[in-house]
Amino acid sequence: MASLASVGQPAGHVEGPSKVTGQARYTADIRLPGLLYGKCLRSPFPHARILSIDTSQAKALAGVHAVITGAELPDRRIGRFFLDKPVLARDVVRFVGEKVVAVAAESMDIAEEALTRIAVEYEALPAVFDPVEAMREDAPRVHADTSTYTHPPVPDFVHPGDDRLYPDIPNVVSQVFYTHGDVETGFAQAAREFTHTFTIPPVHQGYIEPHASVVQIEPDGKVNLWISNKTPFVARAQFAAALGVTEDRVCVNTAPIGGDFGGKGSLMDSVVCYHLAAASGRPVKMVMSYTEELSAGNPRHPAVITLRTGVDADGRIVARKARLVFSCGAYSAFTPLHTVHGSVHAAGPYRMPNVEIEVFRVYTNTVPAGHMRAPGAPQIVFGVESHMDLIAQELGLDPLEFRLRNTLIEGDAAPLGEKWKKIRCKETLEAAAKEAKWNTEKAAHVGRGIGMYDREPGAFGPSSATLSIAADTTLTLMTGAADTGTGSYTVLQQVVAEELQVPLASVRVVQGSTDSAPWEVGAGGSRLTHMAGQATLAAVQKLQEGLTAFAARHMETPPEQVTYRAGEFVNTNGQRLALPTLMAALVDREELPLRYTGEYVAEDPMDVTSFCAQIAEVAVDPATGQVTLQKLTTAHDVGTVLNPLTHQGQVEGGAVQGVGHALTEHLIVQDGAVTNVHLGDYKLPTSMDIPELKTVLVESDAGPAPYAGKAIGEHSNVAVPAAVANAVFDAVGVRLMDLPVTAEKVYAALREKNSAFKSDA
Amino acid sequence: MKSIQLRVNGQAVERDVADNTLLIDLLRNGLDLTGTKEGCSVGVCGACTVLLEGKPVSSCLTLAVTTDGCEVTTIEGLAEGDRLHPLQKAFIDYGGFQCGICTPGQIMSAKALLDENPHPSKDEIQSWMMGNLCRCTGYYKIIESIQAVADGKVAT
Repeated sequence: MASLASVGQPAGHVEGPSKVTGQARYTADIRLPGLLYGKCLRSPFPHARILSIDTSQAKALAGVHAVITGAELPDRRIGRFFLDKPVLARDVVRFVGEKVVAVAAESMDIAEEALTRIAVEYEALPAVFDPVEAMREDAPRVHADTSTYTHPPVPDFVHPGDDRLYPDIPNVVSQVFYTHGDVETGFAQAAREFTHTFTIPPVHQGYIEPHASVVQIEPDGKVNLWISNKTPFVARAQFAAALGVTEDRVCVNTAPIGGDFGGKGSLMDSVVCYHLAAASGRPVKMVMSYTEELSAGNPRHPAVITLRTGVDADGRIVARKARLVFSCGAYSAFTPLHTVHGSVHAAGPYRMPNVEIEVFRVYTNTVPAGHMRAPGAPQIVFGVESHMDLIAQELGLDPLEFRLRNTLIEGDAAPLGEKWKKIRCKETLEAAAKEAKWNTEKAAHVGRGIGMYDREPGAFGPSSATLSIAADTTLTLMTGAADTGTGSYTVLQQVVAEELQVPLASVRVVQGSTDSAPWEVGAGGSRLTHMAGQATLAAVQKLQEGLTAFAARHMETPPEQVTYRAGEFVNTNGQRLALPTLMAALVDREELPLRYTGEYVAEDPMDVTSFCAQIAEVAVDPATGQVTLQKLTTAHDVGTVLNPLTHQGQVEGGAVQGVGHALTEHLIVQDGAVTNVHLGDYKLPTSMDIPELKTVLVESDAGPAPYAGKAIGEHSNVAVPAAVANAVFDAVGVRLMDLPVTAEKVYAALREKNSAFKSDA
Repeated sequence: MKSIQLRVNGQAVERDVADNTLLIDLLRNGLDLTGTKEGCSVGVCGACTVLLEGKPVSSCLTLAVTTDGCEVTTIEGLAEGDRLHPLQKAFIDYGGFQCGICTPGQIMSAKALLDENPHPSKDEIQSWMMGNLCRCTGYYKIIESIQAVADGKVAT
């Protein structure tokens, strides 16, 4: 790929100037004439019957234009796949923070004052908070009757499993099996078996922009929506369904997204915002406070993970059985489709012929869960990689050696039977071990630990992009995908510039609204470089063919004898036609504007994956349990890196999210209520909390994105917690089976270990 | 209500504000300077950082009435026309932002640092920037961006 000019350059974000000057208008920045501010009264109970609601005092307050309750709205549940969530609670509340009454007023102060004047009478009901307890026969039922809830068939792009939706188990939304080989036969061959259980609490995505929605209804009923949502076309479909109108009655407008990490794919307040706009006859803006975000956003699923593994006499894995229980909270509406699909990683990137993974998604009276950067994977991988170290310890093997015996190598089938080509698992692990100096001496109370993960480039759903060329030869690529900050617009700009051999600056990239852009799934699942990249490539090729045909006509030459090269057309006679000259001719003939739309759907399952091996080096203070992450090595098996600056940005940002997940982040839930409800108590990593980071790229030439690129968005965040927990064990010999790895837990475990040692003596 | 006079990005401003009006709301709603962002609303995330008399403050914790007679600088006041401030250019060239929501606050904090200490060490940058959360970058490229300006590597 030595000939690449624009692709492979560390180009800064194309939308940079608007973001660094404060000109970029995010959803919360939108102002409209007559705008009202919406706010919701939320449930203080985890499970209660609503006996009465008195809104008369709120309605009487000057400046209040609408007060609505669930009973006044159509009885229509909303969601992405499982339609189980009311817009405002009807009759029953199921979690602390559920929206009960909504108010729109002339200022936020008035709206908040109005909320204090609403009286709601509740009758508390028995509640359940733990997903394992919720599956017991005697558990309170979060939903008394799920028979009226609807869901479409599981789309064919999700990982095929044996799906049982609403099986006959208390509070279970879905029970999904992934199997390969025969797990009982495998265990029969095992010399030794190991079983461990891990628990992972919920964490928040931590985007700095809280969810925001603005709704304006035009006189003819057309609804304009601005929403901090990374998938505008999907949002339009869900929003229109929630309103009971056809999609053409809704336009989702564009605004930058202030951080996503999976969390910005739900409708959040937008539907209630619509009802406030409809009731008041004015446009309404709703912006969640960060307290609302932490207590009632859409956090990562908490999980209880049990892994049972059979190993033969040579330390090779012969069977793995996994039982994964995820709490989806009170509603399943905005969780991943049929299950938490990170579950497919319960066997890890290891050779094992017999696998059975059973995944439950369970209702509890807690905040509804959502998507977060590689949904399910960090929880699973914390379990899988901790389990690997526990087994290695029992077998008396070095954790690196045990993994090297079992990592996938070229020609292996993956645990669920996938046939990957160009497997670089062992190479990636060895590269990490070399960079981290795995076998070198360590100071006292310093330890190293490994975590591994793999993820294929995202492929689901169609992508499309429209490329137009103006009279002055400026190129404009319109995409319906939101750039959540990953630099996807910049990569698409590079693809256009590369193909047409023009400078980057001559290519603009704009996001179109759902009325103007071609249909596009949007951001998610590490798919945009691959899918929007290929759609862009298709648009460029159509444009080049179209212009070549015009050039051929102008040059009076058959099209097949004309080639395009860096801004000009040349025919086989050596005659040249500059692009500006052609464009001027097209202006004269009134043939502008020229627009070409490229579309792309990945027909086949991905045949490559990307491996990631991470090694944490920690120092533990044995007197206090304090863990200092000194160094983190992150090795990635990558394809062609289209933009090294933004690629590395994904590696670094993801790694530090992993650091937070490992060491500090935890939504503390007591009696169903999140209690650390501001960013002073919910500890995101700061600039003082970051380790020395070493990145190693193991390059390969097989990827489905343009120029053989792969994906990088959901790789570096996943295995860090396991690597840190394994390093803590290496440092001081204590094993934590749950996250985060706090000083308190390490201190308690050290005390327990020391007292056990003393009593043994 | 109280009438206050202040200078915002060099422009004289006179407004009647309620006793409980926050500086962030005066800037965003009163003056349409929406470059200043609201994240946590409790003075932790730093997204709302502006310079008050040249010092960084959380505008979400600052009562507007206390800024009477003061000079306030927001992200909108840094560039001169199309000419970006070196920090703004560095954040683009060195990947110091991704989603951009924390970026105005990051740049205002960094400006305060460089105004006070034009040649900070990496440790000094890391320590100073502790009050500005970023969830996208992991901070490495923010630190590099500021270091590049301090080292005179960024021409505008």
